[in-house]
Amino acid sequence: MAAYKLIGKDFLPPDVIGKVTGRAKFAEDFRAEGMVFAKLLRSPMPHGLVRRVDAAQALAMKGVLGILTAADLPKVTAPAEPILTSEPLYVGEPILAIAAVDETTAADALDRVKVELEPLPFVLDPLESLRPGGANARTEGNVAAPNLKLQTLKWSARDFTAVREGELPRGKPAEEWHYGDIEAGFRQADLVIEESFITQALAHHAMEPRSALAYWQGGKLFLHGSTQSLAFSIPPLTRILGIEPANLHYVSENTGGGFGSKAAAYTQMAIPAFFAKKLGRPVMLRVSREEEHDFGRSRPGFQGWVKLGFRKDGRLLAADLYIVQSGGPYGAVNDFRNAGRHVSLVYQPLAMRWRGMPVLTNTPPRSAQRSPGETQTSIAMDPVIDKAARKLGLDRVAIRHINAPRSDGTIGPKREPLTSSFLPEALELGAAQFDWAAKQALSGKRTGSKVTGLGVGIGYHAAGNSGFDGLVLIRPDGKLYIHAGAGNLGTYSYAATARAAAEALGMPWERCEIVYGGTGRHVPWTCIQAGSNTTFTITRTNHVAAMDARRKLQEIAAREVGGEPAAFEVGGGRVFLKAEPAKGLAFAEAAQRAIALGGKYSGQELPKDLNPMTARSAAALAGQGLMGVAKDTLPRNGVIPGFCAGYALVEVDVETGQVEIKEYLGVADCGTVIHPKNLGNQILGGAVQGFGMALLEKHVYDPKYGIPATRGLATSKPPTYLDVPVNMRWAAVGKPDPQNPVGAKGAGEPPEGAAAAAVLCAISDALGGAHFGRSPLTCDIVLNAVEGRPQPFKPLDTNI
Amino acid sequence: MDASKGRSRSSHGLSRRAFIQGVIAAGAAVSSVNYLFRGNALGQGAGRGVAERLLTLTVNGQQRRVDVLDQETLLMTLRYKLGLTGTKIGCDRGECGNCTVLIDDVPVYACSTLTRIVHDAPITTIEGLAAPGGRLHPVQQAFVEELGPQCGFCTPGQIISAVGLLKVNRKPTRAEIAEALAGNVCRCGAYDHYLNAVQRATELI
Amino acid sequence: MAARDMMPAFELLQPATVEDALALLKRRDKDGWVLAGGMDSLDWFKDRIKRPKAVVELGRIGALRGIRARGADLEIGAMTTLTEVERDATLRERYGLLAQAARRVATPQIRNRGTLGGNVCQDARCWYYRAGLPCYRAGGNTCYADTPTAINREHCLFEADRCVAVSPSDTAPALIALDARFVVRHAGGEKEVPAEEFFIGPKTDITRMTILQPGDLLTAIRLPAAWANAKSYFEKAADRNAWDFPLVNVAAAMKIEGGTIRQARIAVGGVAPRPLRLKAVEESLLGEQPGKEAAEVAAKAAVWGARPLNHNQYKIPLLANLVKRAVRSMA
Ligand SMILES: Cc1cc2nc3c(=O)[nH]c(=O)nc-3n(C[C@H](O)[C@H](O)[C@H](O)COP(=O)(O)OP(=O)(O)OC[C@H]3O[C@@H](n4cnc5c(N)ncnc54)[C@H](O)[C@@H]3O)c2cc1C
Ligand code: FES
Ligand code: FES
Repeated sequence: MAAYKLIGKDFLPPDVIGKVTGRAKFAEDFRAEGMVFAKLLRSPMPHGLVRRVDAAQALAMKGVLGILTAADLPKVTAPAEPILTSEPLYVGEPILAIAAVDETTAADALDRVKVELEPLPFVLDPLESLRPGGANARTEGNVAAPNLKLQTLKWSARDFTAVREGELPRGKPAEEWHYGDIEAGFRQADLVIEESFITQALAHHAMEPRSALAYWQGGKLFLHGSTQSLAFSIPPLTRILGIEPANLHYVSENTGGGFGSKAAAYTQMAIPAFFAKKLGRPVMLRVSREEEHDFGRSRPGFQGWVKLGFRKDGRLLAADLYIVQSGGPYGAVNDFRNAGRHVSLVYQPLAMRWRGMPVLTNTPPRSAQRSPGETQTSIAMDPVIDKAARKLGLDRVAIRHINAPRSDGTIGPKREPLTSSFLPEALELGAAQFDWAAKQALSGKRTGSKVTGLGVGIGYHAAGNSGFDGLVLIRPDGKLYIHAGAGNLGTYSYAATARAAAEALGMPWERCEIVYGGTGRHVPWTCIQAGSNTTFTITRTNHVAAMDARRKLQEIAAREVGGEPAAFEVGGGRVFLKAEPAKGLAFAEAAQRAIALGGKYSGQELPKDLNPMTARSAAALAGQGLMGVAKDTLPRNGVIPGFCAGYALVEVDVETGQVEIKEYLGVADCGTVIHPKNLGNQILGGAVQGFGMALLEKHVYDPKYGIPATRGLATSKPPTYLDVPVNMRWAAVGKPDPQNPVGAKGAGEPPEGAAAAAVLCAISDALGGAHFGRSPLTCDIVLNAVEGRPQPFKPLDTNI
Repeated sequence: MDASKGRSRSSHGLSRRAFIQGVIAAGAAVSSVNYLFRGNALGQGAGRGVAERLLTLTVNGQQRRVDVLDQETLLMTLRYKLGLTGTKIGCDRGECGNCTVLIDDVPVYACSTLTRIVHDAPITTIEGLAAPGGRLHPVQQAFVEELGPQCGFCTPGQIISAVGLLKVNRKPTRAEIAEALAGNVCRCGAYDHYLNAVQRATELI
Repeated sequence: MAARDMMPAFELLQPATVEDALALLKRRDKDGWVLAGGMDSLDWFKDRIKRPKAVVELGRIGALRGIRARGADLEIGAMTTLTEVERDATLRERYGLLAQAARRVATPQIRNRGTLGGNVCQDARCWYYRAGLPCYRAGGNTCYADTPTAINREHCLFEADRCVAVSPSDTAPALIALDARFVVRHAGGEKEVPAEEFFIGPKTDITRMTILQPGDLLTAIRLPAAWANAKSYFEKAADRNAWDFPLVNVAAAMKIEGGTIRQARIAVGGVAPRPLRLKAVEESLLGEQPGKEAAEVAAKAAVWGARPLNHNQYKIPLLANLVKRAVRSMA
């Protein structure tokens, strides 16, 4: 492994001090002179048509400044999400906004707005929508997904009756793929098992609600928002707003979590922007927790079925997977597709078929959530793998290990290659550190009312991308300024990836500054800050930008000192002759020279392949120092898999159904570890969310009225300190990915699925292999199972 | 005016005049008719005159005169009247802990406390922990050293709860820390690091 | 959409004596609201479901605070915080059951503001009711939680009467088990009622959880010397270990002499619209040895007459098992 000065060492990201002192500014912490407040009137019903709005009384109130309705806003074509709607598609969808001088007056005014709504049929459970004659979530249809047109698809009565009670009906799918001959695989298999399953939808509930403040000045929009991405949010945002990127000054210094729900732009941020324009005053939209639940996005639930054929030694010969997705009203999620890719990768079946049906539901809009589709798949698949292991008499780690991809593994129907996979190593390291083999003796052991169970689970997400731009500047003060287009949502990857630039230039970290937090900071075009993408992608862009700066330093030094550029080395803030290190220039001098030289050296001439955003930023910085700027054209071939193996030990109280997680270990394959302390926080933080998915969190709806029960945090139940082990452990394989300059790949997403699956498997283990095919396993479900009582719902019932 | 350039200023060590200037520089219009709550000017108050609505709060050791309505929560007073935006609104329902402040050294949810009810007790917010010169409180220092925060939105509340704990228990066990901080959700799940940090703080104090 | 965070205007009144408070409440009648720690009240106001015009805050009334001896009994002022209840040395020593129950309420911050009086007076947590729907309890004429498809996992097993909500309090069963007396003041005078009579079900009055009439104040709770230092057990089953209301909780106090149960009081929450004293269980224990056998009988008696709804069947074994554990623990 390369000897790094910075990569792999802990450091202090620059925003931490602000976070512990309260100085860090989130969107709702900003104020603007003359600022007024918008408040939303939202739908009380899951689907309806606004027939009449009478706001006269509200608008006559002192202090009320105006109203914004769908009529004031650009129209969108279904199934796209409107900013305000006149056909609400879920409870809590914004219909109109009122602005007033203070928030209380705005709320009082809303009380006086009369809205007549005509209720329309609604659907919460995708299977209900697929029945012949079942309701559609939208007047225009019931099935849609990205790149799949909005349409109406129903299954036949025969499709529903062809299956056993509790088995997923499998009518014609909207999409499917396959490779190999699954029927032959099942014929050759020594064991074939089949299971239906359900994972429930749940809210992201990022801690910071998505408040936004907007005002206009000189035709330019100043917007303070809460998004994960900075640069990547600009194109969708300007599209929603209908303005040129040059006219948007977007500020997002700190984002209070997103987990996918704030990946880029979302329509609700446009409300204060349009309202501010209409009123000619700054408008703050302070989003409440209930609103964050309602329109702050959620993970789609799955109803699924899987059939697996194993050889005696545990090798998976054939897999057949069917996923029905509850897609919310806008269907904008790929989770159902990711499920198929997950199975094809994690278990490398020799033959596989995937079928998917993305159904629309009158529930909160969906978005990616930490390992979108993959976390649900971990939850669904790992317990089935355990079941197979038991039937085959195999160790549960061993059956995962034999199927796990090596670096020559493939993914998807086209059997795409991988950049690297060290999942087998992660499983091995975990088994060793967890003492898996020795702990088997504890499995099923009862002490009083408590029974111990052990579980292992695998989380995965494609973690990286390429083709974005990097931008660094060495200023005459001799410092290296690394411009970060990534957002700052708590993963610190905007900072850790910056170290790849410093590393490439041998620059002491104290003399580096990361420039981030808003478009006003002149940032390069950068990948989405989501899906564990940044680490792989931005270490590459920062590397190529730094290498560009390095070349320019060498050239300038060659001019000044004489000799070939290649004869020069950079390091310690200097560029110097390798043979005679005393001869050279300090970066400060080189920056002065670059300014004097102009042209490519100081950003007056730019590479042609840059994204326009990078070009704009670079132009704004031109002439201020020595600029390194480049598009990442480094070779890349294949999908970049990030993995996590989770190991859990639980105690199930068979008298109450309560589960206590006693021990947890997460082991990542994320390539080179670039920031150990933060990696630990990600692996364990992801695990906490996984525990929530395994044991507590879900969307609950009254089926008759279509109204949600779990809108607050007290009812959504994210895990607290007392619901997780008081000590948790993590480790990483640490083998470099060959297609990244520092060997890194993403790490943040896979820990959630790994932990959730490990806990669910451990519960089954404690209960002698009891299979639930469902999550979360709340204490009522566990207790009913232990007591041999029937569950109060059907196996595939959702939202309960 | 560009609000993005505004920095939040803690009240610490600032006179009232300087503070108001600071806030105005940050873009906030603190004026006779405040913009958050309905003032009497709107004719819908519940009967109290402006003079009567003025309270003196002791926040972070400073006396602050402020116009407070009867139904106003401490959280809103802090954030929108006093410019102390370090105390966060995560739920406004006593369900997250982001708004935790100390009243008389005891952690409470500012979102679920009416300002008028607690106005005569000393209030400590996250802005009031560091020493006047800016030296971090040992708990803050420990949170930095252990890289406690992820997104940081819950961090002020976590730190305040920890400070409250260490005032009554100087050497808590890890389990006792978890109990004391159990009223602070961290959606990023940074619990393990926060526990490390509070344990570390017990060594720094 | 009810929830708007911002409370509508009200007048905050802060009397210094109980008498003044009673006078104010009388004057403001239906417009008035008693405010203790506010942990329940403010949510109703923010949701704009309850909209009092005058809020009478009891925090300035010194007489309502604190834990003091009253002869051989112990008296706790209604405005004593749950944290004070949890930490008080005398209480922990003599009535550990109540301290334990208080400790399991919500979170430290809620216990720091929430009062014992407020905890026993708090309103039902049925999610349909809290959503502001016009159910029976809210003065309407339907129960949303008891339809054939309703989601009623948290609802009641016993004593449903149009309403199927449960008593959410963790301290209430402990107070019943300790045979506490509740001191109620009203404009006309004062009365002391046994804990179990303080709580009422929908059959008595569907819009109230307790005997308190508008204008009444709960001023104190008295713990009798007779139950000091009794053997006791408290357990709460909830989804999360912080914040969450009990799915079922159980509080038991027993006097055991020479290995035989001489007196027993057991109360449970989360299974009926009021906290329930399990008299059949108590009776089954008298003269028995606390142990496995008695526990089995008690568990069976505990669930006699349970009428589960769609989603709360599990509460039957949960209740039975918690009672079983309570009895077993006495051995
Ligand atoms: C998120 C959350 C979680 C919770 N979890 C739990 C839990 O797990 N277990 C549990 O037991 N409780 C729980 N609670 C309830 C909490 O403990 C109570 O809200 C609190 O104890 C109420 O006390 P308070 O002093 O704040 O009362 P307030 O909210 O001020 O009052 C509550 C009600 O009682 C009336 N009242 C109060 N005092 C008197 C009096 N002296 N005389 C007459 N009427 C009076 C009020 O008028 C009001 O109707 C939770 C609350 C929240 C918000
Ligand atoms: S904002 Fe006060 S507890 Fe959430
Ligand atoms: S650090 Fe993000 S919520 Fe705690």
